[in-house]
Amino acid sequence: MKFILDAEQRLFGETLHKLLAEAGTPAAIRAWAAGSHGPGLALWRSLADAGVLAVAVPESAGGAGPLPVEMVTAFHELGRHAAPGPLAESVAVAALLDRLAPEDLVVAPETVDAWLACIAEGNTVATAALPPAVPYALDADAAGLVLAVDGDELRAALPGAARVSLDPARRLFPVEGGELLARGPSVRAAAEAARDMGALATAAQLVGVGRALLDASVEYARARRQFGRPIGEFQAVKHHLADALVGLEYARPLVHGAALAHGSPDFPRDVSAAKVAASEAAYAAAKIALQVHGAIGYTDEYDPSLWIRKARALHSAWGSPSAHRARVLAALT
Amino acid sequence: MNIVVCVKQVPDTATERKLRPDDKTLDRDAVDGVVNELDEYAVEEALRLKEAHGGEVTVLTMGPAKATETIRKALAMGADKAVHLSDDALHGSDALSTSYAMAQALKKIGFDLVILGSESTDARTGVLAAMLAERLGAPQLTLARKVEVNGSAIAIERITDYGYDKVEATLPAVVSVVEKINEPRYPSFKGIMAAKKKPVEALGIADASVDASAVGLAAAYSEVAEFAAAPPRAAGTIVKDEGDGGVKAADFLASKKFI
Repeated sequence: MKFILDAEQRLFGETLHKLLAEAGTPAAIRAWAAGSHGPGLALWRSLADAGVLAVAVPESAGGAGPLPVEMVTAFHELGRHAAPGPLAESVAVAALLDRLAPEDLVVAPETVDAWLACIAEGNTVATAALPPAVPYALDADAAGLVLAVDGDELRAALPGAARVSLDPARRLFPVEGGELLARGPSVRAAAEAARDMGALATAAQLVGVGRALLDASVEYARARRQFGRPIGEFQAVKHHLADALVGLEYARPLVHGAALAHGSPDFPRDVSAAKVAASEAAYAAAKIALQVHGAIGYTDEYDPSLWIRKARALHSAWGSPSAHRARVLAALT
Repeated sequence: MNIVVCVKQVPDTATERKLRPDDKTLDRDAVDGVVNELDEYAVEEALRLKEAHGGEVTVLTMGPAKATETIRKALAMGADKAVHLSDDALHGSDALSTSYAMAQALKKIGFDLVILGSESTDARTGVLAAMLAERLGAPQLTLARKVEVNGSAIAIERITDYGYDKVEATLPAVVSVVEKINEPRYPSFKGIMAAKKKPVEALGIADASVDASAVGLAAAYSEVAEFAAAPPRAAGTIVKDEGDGGVKAADFLASKKFI
């Protein structure tokens, strides 16, 4: 098997990288954290136009997917630029809506199709609480579609007051169930599938977050001089950076491998393996970045702080490493 | 309207660019190739003109096999088809012979309007548009910051040091654009996938009726005699402000003839 991205996938990733680099993403992240969604939603629009959400929505419902490899390619770039908003959540909602059996629907099937099309086109920002892995609805105040799953019931959710997150740009909302949208066994299965897609998207995002932190640290280690030389010349600093790189390079193939396993019985196991590796690699890269940067690393005004906090928040979002490890263990025994 | 956009693959400006020691030409294998930035504006303008007036956008590039990446990007942005003029005999061509080969290819393709970026980031000669116009016997409208087409009439705003000139001509014509003209679109995923199915015609020099003796390094009128790596940047001068900082800054600017 040729285990590299093809020319189209690479161009898709490069395009998103360029788009996010030119869009002034850090300013949008800070505005988002302050509850001002304008710049973040404008970015959402551009990302949707580029096809970020379309690759997660099935072709039959107005998207271009489901294309899990393209999806993780996109989320790697979204993580690399710490793009704000419930992006993984929207992808998960698309997976959820796509799997609801018609006989379990309380709303008309056309309504579900319209939601999917709106997610694909970027007209609707969607989020969901999918307990236990996802107890809060991320950025519910910016979303047009907020869902909550409770057992075999899917409801339109009513968000409460925002909770404090480790990452200020991730606004967590407890939800109460509102109008019933679907009830039945397919809801439970769809929620499982949604949690897997959300975890996979988050794993890809984490590798991107870690990569951005490593790149920033390497650049800083080249520029910052101490004791008469760049700090990157000191072996202890080099070792730290190499460790961060090794962790991320080991996580990346697991993320791509999980994307390729989409549709197979191994998919949940592979997603969990990818999420464990990506969470730990990105978190390790964040800790190393903090140390390499020294005191400036925890300065709020300095951009790497945006990634450092995202790495910590995403580490346990969509299931903690121990929860995912338990899933891998259960799949192997 | 039949629009042909000329695009060039250039070495990534973010990387260190090198010349080959053997024939003193640009080492295109040593670095990643990207679309010449100004050519993206040219593609965007062609697409906007097509959207407004109908027709077809063809991408033309001259370069080694690797240049297909550049073609793919232009097609992903929305161009309809592409022509890739590629031949070992073209290696080392200077601006004059490049314009000859490109003009031959353009004659074969046929066009109402040729659009290109006003210069490339590698060679930076900025003369190709004028040379193409001369060879094609078409009016040249260069350094355009705005293009308007009305039937067979074309008018541009040509940037100058003092503002802009209005330049008018009749199609077919050759236009070169500057970065003020538009904001190039990003290729969408659907555009990228659609590009896979778009036709790319490969032309050798014989197909484009290019005389082999008139192109390539041997036929070049300009020659690179010698080259050396740029010296490392000298350390700046630090002026300590002892109450006369303003005067010293002014003296420095005056010594460089800025004031």
